[in-house]
Amino acid sequence: MAKKIIYTFLLSFLLLASASCDKYLDLKPQDGIVRQEFWQTKEQLAAAVNGCYASLLNSSLAEKLFLYGELRADMIQPAIGVSSAELNIINVNIESTNAITNWAPFYTTINYCNTVINFAPQVLESDNTLTQNQLNAYVGEALALRALMYFYLVRSFGDVPLKLSPTASDTDDVQIPKSTQAEIFAQIVKDLKLAEEYVVTTYGNRDQNKGRITKYAVNAMLADVYLWLNDYNSSLTECNKIINAGQFGLVAGDNDWFSTIFYQGGSNESIFEIYFNANQLNPFYGMFASSVRRYRAALKVGEEIYTTDLIDPTNRDIRGNGAALQMNDNSIWKYQGINSSAARSSADSYAHWMVYRYADILLMKAEALNQLGQGQAALDIIDTVRERANALPATARTPNPTDKNEITNYLLEERAREFAFEGKRWYDLLRNARRDNYDRIDLLLDIVSTTASPENQQSAITKYRDIRSHYFPIYDYELQTNKKLIQNPFYQ
Amino acid sequence: MSKILQLHFSFWLAALVFCLTNQNIYGQGTGAGLTIKGRITASSDNQPIIGATITEIDNEQRIINGATADLEGNFVLKVANPSNRIAATYIGYKRVVQQIGDRTTINIKLEVSSNELSEVGVVARRTVSNGLLQVEERNSTVGVASINARELEELSSSSIDQALQGRLPGIDIAANSGDPGAGMQIRIRGTSTINGSSDPLIVVDGMPYETEIPSDFNFGTADDQGYAALLNIAPSDIEEISVLKDAAATAVWGSRASNGVLLIKTKRGRVGKPMVTYTLRGTMSKQPNAIPMLTGDQFSMLIPEAVMNRNGTPLNTEIVKEFLYDPSDPYYYYNYGNNTNWIDEITQIGYKQDHNISLSGGGEKAKYYASVGYLGEVGTTLNTGLKRISTRINLDYDVSDRIRFRTDIAYTHTDNDKNYATNVRGIAYDKMPNMGVYQYDLQGNNTGLYLSPLSNIQGEYPGTYNPLAMLNGATNNVINERIVPKFNLQYDFIPELFSTTFDVQFDIDNTKNKSFLPQFATGRPINEDVVNRAYDGDVDRFGIQTKTNLLFTPKLGEKHELVGIVSFLTSDNKTTSFQELTSNSASPNLQDPASASRVRSLSSNFSQGRSVALLANAQYSLLDRYIINAAIRGDGNSKFGPANRYALFPSISTRWRVSGESFMQQFTFINDLSLRASYGQSGRAPGGNYSFYNIYSNFAYDYLGSPSIYPQNIELSTLKWETVTGKNVGLNLVLFNNRFDFDLDIYRMRTTDLFFDNLQLPGISGYSNIDMNVGTMDNQGWEINIGGTPYKSRDWTVDFNFNISRNVNIIREISEFYPREKGNATANGQYKTFLQENTPFGSFFGYRYKGVYTDAEATIARDKDNNSIIGPDGQSVFMRFNYPFTDYVFQAGDAIYEDINHDGNINYMDIVYLGNGNPKFTGGFGPTLTYKSRLKLTAFFNFRTKYQVVNGTQMNTTNMYGYDNQSTAVLRRWMNPGDITDIPRALWNSGYNWLGSDRYVEDASFIRLRAITLRYNLGKGLMERAKLKSASVYVTGENLLTFTNYTGQDPEVSTRGTDPFRVAIDNSMTPPTRNIVLGLTVGF
Repeated sequence: MAKKIIYTFLLSFLLLASASCDKYLDLKPQDGIVRQEFWQTKEQLAAAVNGCYASLLNSSLAEKLFLYGELRADMIQPAIGVSSAELNIINVNIESTNAITNWAPFYTTINYCNTVINFAPQVLESDNTLTQNQLNAYVGEALALRALMYFYLVRSFGDVPLKLSPTASDTDDVQIPKSTQAEIFAQIVKDLKLAEEYVVTTYGNRDQNKGRITKYAVNAMLADVYLWLNDYNSSLTECNKIINAGQFGLVAGDNDWFSTIFYQGGSNESIFEIYFNANQLNPFYGMFASSVRRYRAALKVGEEIYTTDLIDPTNRDIRGNGAALQMNDNSIWKYQGINSSAARSSADSYAHWMVYRYADILLMKAEALNQLGQGQAALDIIDTVRERANALPATARTPNPTDKNEITNYLLEERAREFAFEGKRWYDLLRNARRDNYDRIDLLLDIVSTTASPENQQSAITKYRDIRSHYFPIYDYELQTNKKLIQNPFYQ
Repeated sequence: MSKILQLHFSFWLAALVFCLTNQNIYGQGTGAGLTIKGRITASSDNQPIIGATITEIDNEQRIINGATADLEGNFVLKVANPSNRIAATYIGYKRVVQQIGDRTTINIKLEVSSNELSEVGVVARRTVSNGLLQVEERNSTVGVASINARELEELSSSSIDQALQGRLPGIDIAANSGDPGAGMQIRIRGTSTINGSSDPLIVVDGMPYETEIPSDFNFGTADDQGYAALLNIAPSDIEEISVLKDAAATAVWGSRASNGVLLIKTKRGRVGKPMVTYTLRGTMSKQPNAIPMLTGDQFSMLIPEAVMNRNGTPLNTEIVKEFLYDPSDPYYYYNYGNNTNWIDEITQIGYKQDHNISLSGGGEKAKYYASVGYLGEVGTTLNTGLKRISTRINLDYDVSDRIRFRTDIAYTHTDNDKNYATNVRGIAYDKMPNMGVYQYDLQGNNTGLYLSPLSNIQGEYPGTYNPLAMLNGATNNVINERIVPKFNLQYDFIPELFSTTFDVQFDIDNTKNKSFLPQFATGRPINEDVVNRAYDGDVDRFGIQTKTNLLFTPKLGEKHELVGIVSFLTSDNKTTSFQELTSNSASPNLQDPASASRVRSLSSNFSQGRSVALLANAQYSLLDRYIINAAIRGDGNSKFGPANRYALFPSISTRWRVSGESFMQQFTFINDLSLRASYGQSGRAPGGNYSFYNIYSNFAYDYLGSPSIYPQNIELSTLKWETVTGKNVGLNLVLFNNRFDFDLDIYRMRTTDLFFDNLQLPGISGYSNIDMNVGTMDNQGWEINIGGTPYKSRDWTVDFNFNISRNVNIIREISEFYPREKGNATANGQYKTFLQENTPFGSFFGYRYKGVYTDAEATIARDKDNNSIIGPDGQSVFMRFNYPFTDYVFQAGDAIYEDINHDGNINYMDIVYLGNGNPKFTGGFGPTLTYKSRLKLTAFFNFRTKYQVVNGTQMNTTNMYGYDNQSTAVLRRWMNPGDITDIPRALWNSGYNWLGSDRYVEDASFIRLRAITLRYNLGKGLMERAKLKSASVYVTGENLLTFTNYTGQDPEVSTRGTDPFRVAIDNSMTPPTRNIVLGLTVGF
């Protein structure tokens, strides 16, 4: 009998053990959804697309959108809290160990976009309330955001790795070499063209229309991209699409101008802006407002770019004192002001980040027109923008309509006034400097005298003469972890 | 409850019911009812024994019927089967068993049992266990070290890991801090993983005991180090602790055992009269003297000098009023004109009382051990303390000869008051001594409030704060409730041949952590979110573990011995946590997170992990000389994806008893000489659950009012088991009638598929890091243990033991993506560390410090031949730092760093090897003197030798770089040209006077008199008069003497954390205290 017991026991034991083991060990998380169960409904798809936008609120990305556009330009000066990494960039002493050159936040958003682009079509199979058009609209938003990120990268680094598939598993290849600028731009244009076809013109709600990608936002990006590629006719076409749509206009240049556009946000002038909110503040309070702020406005912003009317101080460029900056202490005001005098508290630091607004379209059009030999039309647009802002006569210029260079200078000055601290200055300078085989490299060389510290100016000028130095190095960490990358030529 | 457990249970119940009913039918089937009468008397005086128990027992000793003797000692018992026997028992009397036969009247006389009765049977050979198989120690094929807990009970330690320090070879235990409740770092044969947990598996009474807390639970401001290794088992409940070191031994425990296994056996009841034992330990602790620091007056002289030295501009005391010393400005005069010794302010004498009362005993069928303990501790830092209540009941019941069960229930309640800020002591060291503790108002009146300015020249919270306000105002309390019920059932299918045991253990472990940081501890303005910050976190863990063993012990004749076991183990651990952090409550008295106005974070988490294992293990011995033990273990773990979920780990070990061979018989002085060899593998599972899923989570914020979701991690589909392969050879030698023994082990543990948490990933992936299997690492070394009784006479016994071990930790192979160096040698205070294949861990590099430039002449750069280096302009060149990048020119009074390559430039090329933070040898030794087994003197020393520590406290207290207080060593600083000294000039916020150099590197070798105990056992006569069974008193001194050349606070510095670049830095945590323990043990 004992034997019988033993056999029964052993048998049932083995059966139990082997049969239930696999089930027993198969555990799923309860705090999130696993990919295998995601991508089932259009609500999930909408939330994932919204996640791409939410990733733009990551403070390290927002900070870089500002730093990449302003650090090497002439509109800011370092203040007490500035880090040595930032100072090194200001002094054109950029090494590959400089953490500012870490491009990871851009690729994080790119990865989220890639995830949507790759997995979204699955939803069609499981959710039949989703139409192909709706799917396309969602995919279009991701395509446009991805293109925008690559546009920032290609202008900042030159050649960068082009990653178009999501990283979902540790078997996915993340060792990717650089693609050339031409390849990146080809992809950007391709994505934007597709996005233009896919995305909606309106979401039926003002904030959605301004905070998400619409067809007009795609047109704006295309206009900017074509301008960079010196394709002026295409750029002009894209600008005209927006202008002729009749959906946008300049906000009146009265005392509420600053508050309407930058405090309230979502103005008639806005085409695409990033909506920070009380739950996710922007990083600008610490950068511009706190006692240990990192940046102030450069001296010349108040003195030369906007100037003051010494006789009647109330006669002012509405974009200057009390808007872009406070001239009394040169603090950068754009992201911390409620109106010209009242400031946001640290807990309310959620000013939106402007990506494109109508004034930008007008001035891009002017730039295209100027390059196409229509100088007078360009000057007329500049005047429109100036009149709206009550620009002071001291900053007015009267270039000959056939003098492309002079109009370019005037345009750049006006863009500086209009888009001060909006992360555009360096790209504006570089775009114009590189035109016609770096015909206007003087634009970059000239700013060095006001940016780099005296002992660094000579070496900075020497470096800027080498056009390869206009792009950042690849961060060491990337070289360490991606063996297929080769350091950018200037930094080898 | 988990499905498999249910199945398990139902199966077991069925099996049990089957066995029992089967026998019942069998038992009741024969014979008719029969009534027996009789009388029970004592054999000594023929008096009736009232209440004696009479039972009918069958041939398996199982009780069928029972009765109790009345006032006259008479009993009536209905017997089911006359072929059974009857047994009469009473406490204090020997048990009598008689055949019934045809008798209907049975009178029984019981004899008084003597005390010696329970000690019969102790002649058996000492056995050791790998936790599953109990084998005689002399037959053990693997490296095991054991220590009887009696040797530890005289120490003051509140946790047994503290007591184990230095006692066992190959085990390195270092204190994290001397604060109550602080954990210990236990390392068995070094660290076999880079990132994973290196704590050994702890097995209590045959079942694993969870010590890890979930990694996502942050306990507010506390560090998890403090929790990791704290073992809440009362030391007085412990019978024996063994440590399994070599891989063949640990292989049977599988995953998690690759760091070694600590086996703990708790006390159990023994047959005999109830024995009550009371132990008391009272401890007084005092911190060793702190490093002498500057007084406020000395400090106020130093700072203006340091600022002046910077660029010749004097300190403007109109702005920096902290150094104004102007009575017409009473606020600053009184608040910043003090001589405060901050360390003294926060230090106190610590006390500890530990009471434990236990009751043990048992009869034929049942044995019991029950204990209740209370520990109350007041730490040496203000407002730190630990209270613990621990109870344990261990019950053994033998249903019959074939069925036994054991129930152990342990409950522990701990209430630990910790520092809110972990660095209070460091802050106190640095705090400006001219600041006062209490605030004076603008008129110069003491307000009685703590002086916590918003900020001052030294900085603001968290850089600095009022340490006393922090300790008295901020709270950080951790309450833990843990109940571990365990049930064990043993059934012998065929006695002496085939038996089975089933264990199930539940583990209910709930921790609550509440902390509060009041405004006055930081001085920050009321709208900041560190103000009145309240945290409340709960982590509830529930674990179920089962173990089913089938034990096979066939009799194969004289020459052979075989023991085999098949074991099936499951474990299921669930953790739920909830954490809330809020701030800005209206008043420091509103300390509940619910009353605060701003929610900083709110999180909850659920996580579950499961594992199963099937193990087959057998030990065979031939002729008592050739012994072989082999095991194979299959592991399955829910933390892996389906592809890598299961793994097999074999092990084999052998022992050759050379002394058993005939040619050795001539050496009669050798009792045992054996050679051992073993090979074994064990696997480790990663820390996190669910990592093989791509999980989509919510952002903590919305975009345009809608939820936003993102893929939060990369699916780890290729992650596989980290495997530790151990090879071990050993030797055991026992000489001169077992008076001396000598053990030697040499080992190499190779970890392959090393887990690497957070390996950097290229940013283009969209993620920053990933967990992967990369690389190979070795731990190799040797251990020697010597014990013996060099002298023994009728009255005197002298015992001595000594252990020493060495372990080296080497990376053999590592991912090419892993960075190879860390540290910036051009910044003050940093050392350079490299990760190199085939080089031990823990080495660090820096400059060589050569003193101070006495004058400008001395700073002239000189080449190899000591000629001054001439520049292109024909002038002598001065020594520079990091030309052309930093290009600082050294001045008189600056630190001299050796210019290794004689180029006049101190830069990365002048960096040399400075030391290694891993000790070369660790171990302990100590004699025991016994006189007439009544008076016993035990001393125990432990040591760690040849390891280099960065004296971080010295660095911070002599750099004269900021506004931090400095040690009195800076009084001899360089001040004028010509001064010859070893301390450079004061230089505020500039210069390179405290680069990572050998100036701060010290050999921290030490030998410490860990404990010395004098114990007196009361004489027999005295005890009998006092009606005691045993009584002893003792006095112990702990950490009384430390022999070291180290100049810092305490040389016992462990390299904390898991960073492979870590350097052993001594930042003067609360050092181990000096304790005096008074103890008393009474049994009655």
